[in-house]
Amino acid sequence: MSEETGQGEQAVELRGVVKEYRRDEFSVLALNNVDLDIPRNDFLALMGPSGSGKSTMLHLIAGIDRPTSGRLTVLGDDIGGMGEKELAAWRSENIGYIFQTFNLIPVLTALENVELPLLLTRLSKKQRLENAKTALDIVGLSDRLDHYPRQLSGGQEQRVAIARAIVTDPAIILADEPTGDLDAASAKEALNALALLNEQHGKTIVIVTHDPHAARYARKTRYLEKGDLLPEGQLPEDWFATTAPT
Amino acid sequence: MLRFVPLTFKNLLRNRRRTILTVASITMSLLLVGVLLSVYAAFYFRGGTEEEALRLIVRHRVSLAMELPQYYENRIRDVDGVETLTKFSWFGGKYKDNRPEEFFARFGVDPEQVFKVLSEVSIPEDQYQAWLRDRQGIAIGSSVVNRTGLKLGDRFTLVGDIYPIDLDVVVRAIFEGPEDNNSFFHWKYFEESLPENRRGEVGTFYIRVRSPDDVPRVAQAIDDMFRNSPQPTKTETERAFQLSFVSQMGNVKLFLLSIAGAVVFTILLVSGNTVAMSVRERIQEIGVLKTLGFTSSTVLSMIIGEAVLIAFVGGVLGTALTYLVTGLATEMLVGFFEGLIMPWWGVFFCLGVALLIGLISSIVPAIIAARTRVTDALRHAG
Repeated sequence: MSEETGQGEQAVELRGVVKEYRRDEFSVLALNNVDLDIPRNDFLALMGPSGSGKSTMLHLIAGIDRPTSGRLTVLGDDIGGMGEKELAAWRSENIGYIFQTFNLIPVLTALENVELPLLLTRLSKKQRLENAKTALDIVGLSDRLDHYPRQLSGGQEQRVAIARAIVTDPAIILADEPTGDLDAASAKEALNALALLNEQHGKTIVIVTHDPHAARYARKTRYLEKGDLLPEGQLPEDWFATTAPT
Repeated sequence: MLRFVPLTFKNLLRNRRRTILTVASITMSLLLVGVLLSVYAAFYFRGGTEEEALRLIVRHRVSLAMELPQYYENRIRDVDGVETLTKFSWFGGKYKDNRPEEFFARFGVDPEQVFKVLSEVSIPEDQYQAWLRDRQGIAIGSSVVNRTGLKLGDRFTLVGDIYPIDLDVVVRAIFEGPEDNNSFFHWKYFEESLPENRRGEVGTFYIRVRSPDDVPRVAQAIDDMFRNSPQPTKTETERAFQLSFVSQMGNVKLFLLSIAGAVVFTILLVSGNTVAMSVRERIQEIGVLKTLGFTSSTVLSMIIGEAVLIAFVGGVLGTALTYLVTGLATEMLVGFFEGLIMPWWGVFFCLGVALLIGLISSIVPAIIAARTRVTDALRHAG
């Protein structure tokens, strides 16, 4: 748990956020009274051992899960109080999400995958395709528009996923282990793309990672341990014993 | 919602083999339902022509196998409302052999009257006159000609099976019309060929009444007239007469509806299982879609849309095949089974059943998918 004071306009504010999962008679405390501010245009890496609550925190910020208690404000909206439909629309507008396993739709081409979030907007087909092409251009894949995911390398797939995450021009991009399934070269490509989005396009980026190399791309790294957000600069106990930097 | 249609199509092509097999199973099921429906409609819904509405058939009250005395003819003719009538005696018999394509119905009739009663039949006048003149002459329908290759002037023998006689006949006329799988020879020739003790009996009388309004009264009058005689009659419309053959097979209505119901229920289970399987495989993607901002109702609509589309394609193919099969069957079963064509309302019924199959089979898997929490769906992805 950590107390933070907001610096300027915050993209994300967590106050006393608790997330408890119940499975049958068992209950697991995934996040324990977490306070956190993430300023706009920040690039934050969340690290910690497995089960420390990193992904849970990302899910809460993305609005795909709800806190058990506490207040969660993202881009000034109290998303904890939103209904399912309202939250879906909010997510579509404000959040770009990148998964470890890319999660592209296999029956759609790169262009169609990137166009997917735009189906929820009022844009015309032509505008949707233009925006999707632009997003693919930003991640350097304008020559792979009609390729299906199976025809792309892992790094290219992840860049398509990044293009899909940015195509709606969201303020926040969340990435859950974005380099977990990539080789070193592909991981570098993906992380460079994220850094570019943060530096040149002003996106607020939060990544969850086990990889210290990936974390180095972030401006700041915070650690979680057993549901607690450790104070800035503090690492989990035996962190170096469980993490083998390469 | 239209913008999601291409995505729905793409999802259908995800597992082409499964989609094709599902469409094929729905097609075959709806073909079966369509054929059963056509049989049902042919039995119970086929409307008669105006000419049919003027015809009555008089038969023995107990059984069609029992005959009526010939002298009933004059008494029936005297009933008010009867315009004309003809003796109509089933001969049965065999032409060449018992192969189905050699089969056609053979009746002993009054040549002067028969085409007044069966007024929708058309026959060239010269041929009709030739048939009238030749007591061994036989008039055959054009369908018989097509199947057997018989032509004017051909001589052949009808070998008796019900009756202990053979009839040598000559083709004198070829007619066209709804009875064109039949053949008609002179009842008098048939009568005179029978042994003494078998003469003077008639299978049925076909009557033409003056107007459709006379039908119930004339039928009642005839049956009343012979109620207390040793051979009581049953007078009924041509449609009721045909349906009496159907009822001999038992409760055909229940039988047909039961089979159709069982087929629909089975395909509902098969289709439901397919949709459930397809949804289970895509739980991860559903989680992704929801993360991107798709609402539960959109996901629900997309899954139901896919299932309905598959079922609808199956329904269209099944209905088209039904038309093809019933058309072929009508050609092949001509004379045995008239009017085996899917009725127009059958098309809507089959397509409606197809849509219902799609809807009902997908509703539960779609609701489960829509209700799945995003985090659970993503975890399902591993």
